[in-house]
Amino acid sequence: MSNLSLLAILQTDCPTCRLITPYLNALADGPAQVRGVSQDSEDATREFVHQMGVRFAVERDGDFALSKRLGVVTVPTLYLIDDQERVVRQEPGFDKTALNEIAALLGHAPVATPYDGAPQSKPGCTSRHLEVQTEHASAAALNLHATRGAAASTVDLADSEDPHEYCFRVFKDPLPVVPPTRERVDRMLRAAGRDPHEVIARIPPCYGEATVEKIAANAVMAGCVPEMMRVLIPLMRAIADERFNAHGVQATTHFAAPLIIVNGPVRSELNFHSRQNVFSNVARANSTLGRALQLILLNLGGARPDSIDMSALGNPGKFSYCIAENEEENPWEPLHVDQGLSREQSAVTLFAAEPPHGVSEHNARTARGVLKSISYALATMWNYRACMGFEAVVALGPEHVHTIHRDGFTKQNVRDFLFENTGVPLRCYNDEPGEGVAARGMYKEIMIDGERCYQKFRAPESIKIVVTGGTAGKFSAVLGSWSAGPRGSQMVTYPI
Amino acid sequence: MPITLVSPMNEIAIQAAPPAPRLAGLQGKTIALLDISKPGGSVFLDRVERLLKERYAVANVIREMKPTFAKPAPPGVIEKIRGADAVIEALAD
Repeated sequence: MSNLSLLAILQTDCPTCRLITPYLNALADGPAQVRGVSQDSEDATREFVHQMGVRFAVERDGDFALSKRLGVVTVPTLYLIDDQERVVRQEPGFDKTALNEIAALLGHAPVATPYDGAPQSKPGCTSRHLEVQTEHASAAALNLHATRGAAASTVDLADSEDPHEYCFRVFKDPLPVVPPTRERVDRMLRAAGRDPHEVIARIPPCYGEATVEKIAANAVMAGCVPEMMRVLIPLMRAIADERFNAHGVQATTHFAAPLIIVNGPVRSELNFHSRQNVFSNVARANSTLGRALQLILLNLGGARPDSIDMSALGNPGKFSYCIAENEEENPWEPLHVDQGLSREQSAVTLFAAEPPHGVSEHNARTARGVLKSISYALATMWNYRACMGFEAVVALGPEHVHTIHRDGFTKQNVRDFLFENTGVPLRCYNDEPGEGVAARGMYKEIMIDGERCYQKFRAPESIKIVVTGGTAGKFSAVLGSWSAGPRGSQMVTYPI
Repeated sequence: MPITLVSPMNEIAIQAAPPAPRLAGLQGKTIALLDISKPGGSVFLDRVERLLKERYAVANVIREMKPTFAKPAPPGVIEKIRGADAVIEALAD
């Protein structure tokens, strides 16, 4: 006589649960006790018992306490339980071989035969308490308003394990990372000075919880100094801002990657670099903040470049994409002031950006000459005939700024000039169809240098001006956006 | 002395939702056609709608459109196609 009993976790609307129920009935006719546990409401469970002619007792797991305690992932899951209430075997889904093995352990004849009309095996459904979306209040939805999350799990590495190789294998980033040891993460947490389990944001598109501790672990991996936590906290709020639409930015087939632009006193406090090679590997602060954001987007947001991130060609900015504005060489108001903050306020700005496109202009001697060069680069954003659906960052190099400012241009003058002088000649649309042609009915016609053109941008404010880079060399860069505006991604700025 | 690492990964279990059961046939069914508002989607779905009606005798076709391809379908759009026997979505350009 077996001392085992059988527990089956079931959902009333799961086809696999319905498939397995007659076999459970057969087992219940034998010597061993069979119990069912329904994850659904009392009414649904009663209906299920009636429809399926259930011959064993079915109780409800209304608050999913049992499902959570057992760690149920799939329904049905069968648990063989001994007389000490210990689980000796668990079997998810439907499988005839497993059912017959369980039957034998329960002292029962085989219940499943090869040709009884049911498949050999069938996977189950997601346990109700793990469902992301649910129609019924009875199911436990993810609590998207929780302000505290769980502690991060830890793992003790054996002495024989190389921590760097462990990180490659388990965390799956193609570049080396600093192993997020307990000590290093704790140093970050002390610098953050916040509850480690506070949820700062949920990172799209999979909405993993960015607790302070998880942010810290990724910041360690990226090589950030502990003081960078004061930038990462508002950066997490920015990346989760619905206006930025990280869900779309992270999943699109387009080139876009989140570009971080740092403004204000934090630049000197944490050694952000805003001069030569600003888009390159010039400073620990820039490189590690950009990398920390990317690691968080991968590890917590889940948009990995081999799956949910569908970018056709990608973007080198997905290694790290962080610049600071060279406010010292900017004769106008810096970007964060354009975005509504005071000059003394440190800030991070996010923009869904293509890679930088260089504009070399060493021979123009006037503001107009420099800006005309830039307008021709802007005219090819997205596609040479597409207009209005995107924005651009114009990263003005200090030498260009000097020339433009010498001619008396304000920042608004720069935006207005680029807006009024960037267009696509109408003759371009006489050729065969292509991107941007079908929408030309919505475009606005203007004259540029005596030629009829469609205006490239929707408004002067679509052109975002940043002064950055080194003081030697007459270069600027233009950075196209992803689909912009309320239907795409909008630039967001958060105070630090 | 073992090294202890703190997991940087999302630890909330994400389970793929099982796909809806496949239909045995289309006759008499209600089919929703979802346009994600990319260029060309309507051209494709117009043709699909005609084929569904002419060749497969579907009972009803529901046409819906996402306001933007750049974001998930809002609840209002989902609500309008709920109850259809199947959904065909026109994904790209």
